[in-house]
Amino acid sequence: MSSTAGKSNPFSQPQPESAVQLAPVWRVVVLNDPVNLMSYVVLVFRKVFGFDEAKARKHMLEVHEQGRSVLWSGAREPGEAYVFTLQQWHLTAILEPDEAH
Amino acid sequence: MKRIEVRLSLPVVRPLLDVIRSLVDDLHSKPAAHVSSPDPDAEFADGWTRDLVATQAGDVETLIAVFGEEFLSGGLVHFDQSNAEAIARSCSAVRLRVREKFLKGISDESLEAGEVEMATLDEGVRKAFTCYLFLATIQELIVQHLDESIIGS
Repeated sequence: MSSTAGKSNPFSQPQPESAVQLAPVWRVVVLNDPVNLMSYVVLVFRKVFGFDEAKARKHMLEVHEQGRSVLWSGAREPGEAYVFTLQQWHLTAILEPDEAH
Repeated sequence: MKRIEVRLSLPVVRPLLDVIRSLVDDLHSKPAAHVSSPDPDAEFADGWTRDLVATQAGDVETLIAVFGEEFLSGGLVHFDQSNAEAIARSCSAVRLRVREKFLKGISDESLEAGEVEMATLDEGVRKAFTCYLFLATIQELIVQHLDESIIGS
């Protein structure tokens, strides 16, 4: 019995790998700016993402010290909504593809 | 409903309102912060920017309204759940625009660290910088005392 029979047989079932396509993952990233107050940025993260104080502060410090922080990742549409809301609060927010997925 | 009342010095604050008012038209027409639409489609990007500017314009009007008759007659301003969110946001919008328009000569590092020698600034820049600090104080006050109102709204 040949182990490659399925590859040349037009009546064979499609391989599961070829039938599944993963939706791309997007990241909401906030970039540093010299104007917005740290306490304000913490408030915005709590308000927009529902983070507790400690988590919001951790992301704020990442933005401040490393220039950027990934706040959220997932499907494109909710990502766009997050970016819009963050821009309404005058933070520099972008949506970028998550290369790891 | 939690409410903060602050009595401000009219002679000190009134000139700062001139700085804010000088930026109102601008804030009604373009976003204060860098805006990046996630979709390159021109129509989508226009709609995105238009919606941001509409929110921003409404917020700035709320800020201007705080410094209305009650303030001009006795220096009193108040903040509560009904205006806290809009004012917190508009303080950022105005500060970003003040930075862009009047404070270009100050480095990001100095501005972020708050290390600016007021005495070295010329009068117009000093007034704009004082307005920048004044709005930070208002915003900080709201963040400290009305944060739960904003988060819960």
